[in-house]
Amino acid sequence: MKFRCERDVLVEALGIAGRAVSTRGGLPGLTGIRAQLQGNQLTLTGSDLDLTISTTVTVSGESDGVSVIPARLASDIVRAVQPGAVSFAAEAESLSIQAGRSEFSIRLISGDDFPQIAALDAEPVQLASAQLADALKQVVLAASSDDSRPILTGVLMAAEADGLRLVATDSYRLSLRDVSQASVLAEGQSVLIPSRALGELNRVLAQGDEVTLRLGTNQASFEVGSVTLVTRLIEGDFPNYRGLIPDSHPNVLTVNREELLDALRRVKLLARESTPIRIEMSDDGMELVAITQDVGTARESLESSYAGSNLTVAFNPQYLLEGVEVAPGEEITLSTIDELKPALVRAVGFEGFLYLLMPVRVS
Amino acid sequence: MSGRRILHADLDAFYASVEQRDNPRLRSRPVIVGAGVVLAASYEARRFGVRTAMGGRQAQALCPAAVVVPPRMTAYSEASQAVMDIFRDTSPEVEPLSIDEAFIDVSGLRRVAGPDTAIARRLQQRVATEVGLPLSVGGGSTKFLAKVASGVSKPKGLLVVPDGGELDFLRPLPVGRLWGVGPKAQERLAALGIHTVADVADVDRAHLERHLGKAWGHHIWALAHNLDPRPVETGRRRRSVGSQHSFRAGTVDRAGAEEILLGVVDRVTSRLRKGERVARTVVLRLRFADFTGATRSRTLPEATDTTAVVLATARDLLAEAWPLIEQRGLTKVGVAVMNLDTDGALQLSLPFAVPTAARGRTEQNPVQLDAAVDQIRQRFGSGSLVRTTLVGQEPIEMPLLPDPVPADATSDRG
Repeated sequence: MKFRCERDVLVEALGIAGRAVSTRGGLPGLTGIRAQLQGNQLTLTGSDLDLTISTTVTVSGESDGVSVIPARLASDIVRAVQPGAVSFAAEAESLSIQAGRSEFSIRLISGDDFPQIAALDAEPVQLASAQLADALKQVVLAASSDDSRPILTGVLMAAEADGLRLVATDSYRLSLRDVSQASVLAEGQSVLIPSRALGELNRVLAQGDEVTLRLGTNQASFEVGSVTLVTRLIEGDFPNYRGLIPDSHPNVLTVNREELLDALRRVKLLARESTPIRIEMSDDGMELVAITQDVGTARESLESSYAGSNLTVAFNPQYLLEGVEVAPGEEITLSTIDELKPALVRAVGFEGFLYLLMPVRVS
Repeated sequence: MSGRRILHADLDAFYASVEQRDNPRLRSRPVIVGAGVVLAASYEARRFGVRTAMGGRQAQALCPAAVVVPPRMTAYSEASQAVMDIFRDTSPEVEPLSIDEAFIDVSGLRRVAGPDTAIARRLQQRVATEVGLPLSVGGGSTKFLAKVASGVSKPKGLLVVPDGGELDFLRPLPVGRLWGVGPKAQERLAALGIHTVADVADVDRAHLERHLGKAWGHHIWALAHNLDPRPVETGRRRRSVGSQHSFRAGTVDRAGAEEILLGVVDRVTSRLRKGERVARTVVLRLRFADFTGATRSRTLPEATDTTAVVLATARDLLAEAWPLIEQRGLTKVGVAVMNLDTDGALQLSLPFAVPTAARGRTEQNPVQLDAAVDQIRQRFGSGSLVRTTLVGQEPIEMPLLPDPVPADATSDRG
């Protein structure tokens, strides 16, 4: 394998494929990026078995071939050399990288244990990148990062009557977003996609206007621009979230989203570690309060409209902030039942999004 | 430091001193409290090399003239209470460390009670006349310094390190005086050519961190410079809740150990809920057939009082320690939860039942389950409801003593 390429093109491509490279130990092959040259098309692939990302760039090829190159080292080298052309030349066991007056020779990794990821032959479906990016931003954050509860590390993608629904929960909050007019799945079908894969997908969605999605029995693939992302699916049943969303809330607070965000960020300064923020709601409006023992207190009142009985509910400030941040629109509603039952954040005039949040119990 | 003045008051040979106080025949004679294991030794006995926690036989071999008396815990508790009352009478800022020692913050007292040395001397006098016990007092600008000073001054000593004199006082001391530096650590430091506090203070911090690990290297370097920001904490509530179960070596296999763990965790979390506390750190303590022990701990992302959550963590820790257990043979399983939340703020979970794919059935919501169990036990007594796997077992349980181990400790005692 031998080719020349503009440094910045290579930096970006190595960066994209490198996102899937295993950072933990494991098989030596998984610490590498597989580079395949065919004519002028260079395909770089990184994988940790769960997630595989490949990207194809155009280079000026001299001789075809396949090598597995050490991901971290190659990436660091290419990023460090002078801007301009970089040449790669792979021999049986080593790779020479040359740029300007710099020349590196590094050992290649044996390609034997690099995973073979077969392309999915399932029926492709197209989704608009921008809309998916929007939905992912709103939902992925609610997924759990705790590997001991694998089901909750996934994002549910389910067919609904009028389109596709994304749901994620870490058991403290739940985020739901309906993407209309995209019928990806058969009626009633659903899959559980690792949130990490969707987080990575979101980073590359800007590469193209459309995403091509293919769903297999235990894998899913996303193609956008020159990037292909293949992920395993999580097996198991997602919790029955429908029963959690209360039909009606006796108390509804309506408030400007940006103003609430600013106030939350200020009051949060006094909410250390596990200290909750209390929201006091009454006919007079709302007040945010944070009290941390031995540190101090913060209090801020906000213009809002409130229908319901006087109530104080405490929340983890980060969870609340994240839900309000990703809510669309200018105004949001915070609907509550009492200080121990799930509260609901919705965007006014936007039916497709909801964020369910459990309060913090304070004694 | 910012003008803080802290005293560390420590009763000398506490149990033995109470015995000598209450029995004139024991005065100025070597006294050992506790027959099987030495719980305390008077200074007369210490001169012969008798030390706390030593085996009784070894102690009597070292000091055949010693009078061995059984412990009288009630008398010690009463004496401790009386002494702590004198401390609290002196300053509102008192942090008891154990039954026989406390930190006292006297920063604000200069005007009303005079300089530290005078306060310290008055403490000694009051404890001597009102309770009849010898007390050593150290003082300084940090907790650490005060504790070192009282240790150096013992017995019946009084040593207050003046502001500005901290480093002159600390530097010549052997490195073993630093909090957290035991005999093994001293060996490791000696190998680096470090013998005194000055040696620690003068070496590059990065060098220490490289050789001793980041946290620990930083810790002793900071102490050697008298950097110890910990305030005197008054009215501190319990810092841990624990329970344990002992058995004969070779009588418990993996499944048996899991069952015991279940019972121990169940007790710990019920007590936690009863006290309306939540905890973030789960500590597993193991004792082996060769009398060595091991401690494993893990901190959870969220505080909890749920049996299922603590149990899952304790099981993970047990599984990780299992190779060691197979090597050495298990004789005790203890579980403690630490990092207790003081304000009882608890992030609630969405009330869904998490389906367990592996077993193909839906589990009861663990929070509701705990609440139901607590309710039944409250009405019908703690023995009224027992896990199926534990039916018919006679638990031998002992409460854990208050815990001096730092929350992040993971250590092997060999």
